[in-house]
Amino acid sequence: MVDSPEQDRVESGDYSDREDADRDGFGPSTVQDDVILELKNLRTYFQTSYGTVKAVDGVSYHVKRGETLGVVGESGSGKSVTALSIMRLVPSPPGYIVGGEVILDGQNVLDLSDSEMAKIRGSKVGMILQDPMTALNPVFNIENQVGEAIRIHQNLKGQSLVDKIIHSLRQVRIPAAESRMKDYPHQLSGGMRQRVVGAISISCAPIVLIADEPTTALDVTIQAGYLRLLKEIQAETGVGIIFITHDFGIVAKMCDRVAVMYAGRIVETGDVRQIFNEPSHPYSEALLASVPKLEERTQRLYSIEGQPPPLFDLPPGCPFAPRCEYAQDVCREAYPVRFEIDANHTASCWKLLDFDISKADPEELAAAQSVSVTAAAEEQLQEAEAVAD
Amino acid sequence: MTTIQERIQQKEGIQPLDVNAEVILETRGLAKHFELAGGFLGFGNKPTLKAVDGIDVVVRAGETVGLVGESGCGKSTTAKLLLGLEKPTAGQIFFKGEDFTKMSRAAKRDYRKNVQAVFQDPWSSLNPRMRVQSIVAEPLQIVTKMTKGEIKARVSEVLEEVGLNAYQANLYPHEFSGGQRQRIGVARALALNPEVMVLDEPVSALDVSIRAQILNLLVDLQKEHNLAYLMIAHNLATVRYMCHTTAVMYLGSIKEIGDSEPIFSNPLHPYTQALISAALPSHPDIEREEIILPGEVPSPVDPPSGCTFNPRCPVKIGDVCEQWAPGLTEEETSHWVSCHLYGDAKERFDAGEAIPAAAVEDDA
Ligand SMILES: Nc1ncnc2c1ncn2[C@@H]1O[C@H](COP(=O)(O)OP(=O)(O)OP(=O)(O)O)[C@@H](O)[C@H]1O
Ligand SMILES: Nc1ncnc2c1ncn2[C@@H]1O[C@H](COP(=O)(O)OP(=O)(O)OP(=O)(O)O)[C@@H](O)[C@H]1O
Ligand code: SF4
Ligand code: SF4
Ligand SMILES: [Mg+2]
Ligand SMILES: [Mg+2]
Repeated sequence: MVDSPEQDRVESGDYSDREDADRDGFGPSTVQDDVILELKNLRTYFQTSYGTVKAVDGVSYHVKRGETLGVVGESGSGKSVTALSIMRLVPSPPGYIVGGEVILDGQNVLDLSDSEMAKIRGSKVGMILQDPMTALNPVFNIENQVGEAIRIHQNLKGQSLVDKIIHSLRQVRIPAAESRMKDYPHQLSGGMRQRVVGAISISCAPIVLIADEPTTALDVTIQAGYLRLLKEIQAETGVGIIFITHDFGIVAKMCDRVAVMYAGRIVETGDVRQIFNEPSHPYSEALLASVPKLEERTQRLYSIEGQPPPLFDLPPGCPFAPRCEYAQDVCREAYPVRFEIDANHTASCWKLLDFDISKADPEELAAAQSVSVTAAAEEQLQEAEAVAD
Repeated sequence: MTTIQERIQQKEGIQPLDVNAEVILETRGLAKHFELAGGFLGFGNKPTLKAVDGIDVVVRAGETVGLVGESGCGKSTTAKLLLGLEKPTAGQIFFKGEDFTKMSRAAKRDYRKNVQAVFQDPWSSLNPRMRVQSIVAEPLQIVTKMTKGEIKARVSEVLEEVGLNAYQANLYPHEFSGGQRQRIGVARALALNPEVMVLDEPVSALDVSIRAQILNLLVDLQKEHNLAYLMIAHNLATVRYMCHTTAVMYLGSIKEIGDSEPIFSNPLHPYTQALISAALPSHPDIEREEIILPGEVPSPVDPPSGCTFNPRCPVKIGDVCEQWAPGLTEEETSHWVSCHLYGDAKERFDAGEAIPAAAVEDDA
């Protein structure tokens, strides 16, 4: 409920009194120190008749145990292809993982054989793809559906399988799991169905769970229930969650850290507060300014005009330049290098280097140019290199 | 170089509401009950589904009224009633004071011209085999006696107004992005120069980063033409941004209605309070105590007696809630609520007053 102290806080912007306390409304933070998934310079391209689609072009991010990473960005920016690459489920042809590493629990999954990968999928890394309300098959009972998910990965039969099913259902707090598991989906309430989907996704105790827009079509109260369930599962199992979404509200509520994607790359990463309080890439700033607030009436939204560039024909330079309020010549000539604003907070934008290409580290600058650069930028690049030498 | 904040400052948001503006559209006791197939072995009464069950809304020139509520509460059915796509079971619709059912044929035609719609899905609401020119021209051809040349000129004019280029008139819908397609939908609705637009979830299907484009377009068009909007949305923040007036629906009826500001800053109805508490925050530091409602929305075929929210209401005050249906009462200036927490219904009920036949009007 919007009570008046909260109202005051919203108006004054003063949240200082709740720095550490229960800050996401879901209890204390569950983040631990060990990194359980790390992407290094991942590149996934599609070979199509109209050209090479650089859907994921040098993406690096990581997830710690118990942590939720939000991946946000415009439609087509490569969020789902990144997730599919982690699972090694990119359809091939036309898709190829052409570079980088995906280190899951200390192991680069891109080195595994197909059969080794099949074992990891669902057991170490799980994915919730669909709308949780429609993910269940109406003709099978709950026992069958949860059992099926377990059997794919674990060689359990008879009573031990039943025990495992009951354990999974209890984990998501389904009351009277023994009798409830005989029910069919239509006999369950919406909230119960969500819990069953949750039980399926954690039945093999994954260490990383990828949720790709699982709640877009849901009503407010049902969505809230589902998000709460995910957090409960996380608190209990320490699973690391990658939450792919368009919705900054979900990010605000669920995520510890955020990666903002644009045209196949991460343009900004930071702690959730850093991103909300000090968005440093113009695209992040624009996105945040384009969403209305519930807590106070927004006078006027910012609208990002135009569309993202086609990924098979990226112009040299910053792909956001045609839509960016701040763009200068250098932006159209060379892809911006990553700049560290603060600990854990980086963004790739020339504005942060005062639009001065000579301030860029030559090595990083060269690495950032995956697309060919203009002759002018090439020259500047060489000059910059000469200066550095 | 203009910063994003400066750019925002240059533009205006919704215009303040003129409370003396002409009432364009009004509904009184508007209801739609669907008769369902079935009934016991084909005998007896067929079950009826009360999709919309008596709603009163007023929309003035230049005003946006938002209808919010969860899936199935009757928002789209209300829109269809206003658009003449469904026939009301009961109640009336007035256009500038005139009762629709008593209108002459010509006046009805005028009504249809003046009340236009923009739907949710820009992918399915535009005919894929028609060029944009024909899509936007269609209502003009059907309703007006304009010449080909005039129609062409009008199409270019509205396309420009929604931010598209006249040359794009020759393209097909699939050649546009989602945001552009929704612009085409708005252009089509705008072509006849209507006084009211019914907007049924106009941005829900769009990418978050382009939603603002369409919302701002609607804000600007409203200012330009003094349009009245009835806007359906389930995103509460969008409603707060767009709407002067907000109506919260539950099971076919309005539980709370009034100026948007008090409704959002001081929601009175327990359902509105729960809805707002469950909405996503706009900042990670905002923490709302979520009011979790037990159970699910009951079937509109067999709605609960008394207050239809009573089986889920966390603050239900007693038997009065199960037996007396609360009416809408003005608890604060321009802020109506339908709940026995307000007014003296409980005292009257406990004192043994006879059960009123219709809704209880509390003396607030
Ligand atoms: N099978 C494919 N063949 C060719 N291009 C593809 C294929 N799959 C994806 N792409 C392209 O890869 C890019 C990234 O797509 P992706 O699905 O990752 O976007 P996204 O960020 O998840 O978008 P959304 O928010 O709409 O889900 C898009 O430009 C898309 O067209
Ligand atoms: N033609 C119809 N026949 C029978 N029932 C109908 C019909 N149209 C709608 N309904 C029912 O009327 C109720 C209200 O539906 P409506 O489409 O107005 O809801 P809504 O508020 O627009 O929901 P949503 O947010 O899902 O769009 C629902 O229970 C729906 O199933
Ligand atoms: S690099 Fe230039 S164009 Fe790209 S986001 Fe930064 S300022 Fe804008
Ligand atoms: S009338 Fe009673 S049951 Fe209905 S909302 Fe008010 S307190 Fe709750
Ligand atoms: Mg996707
Ligand atoms: Mg609807």
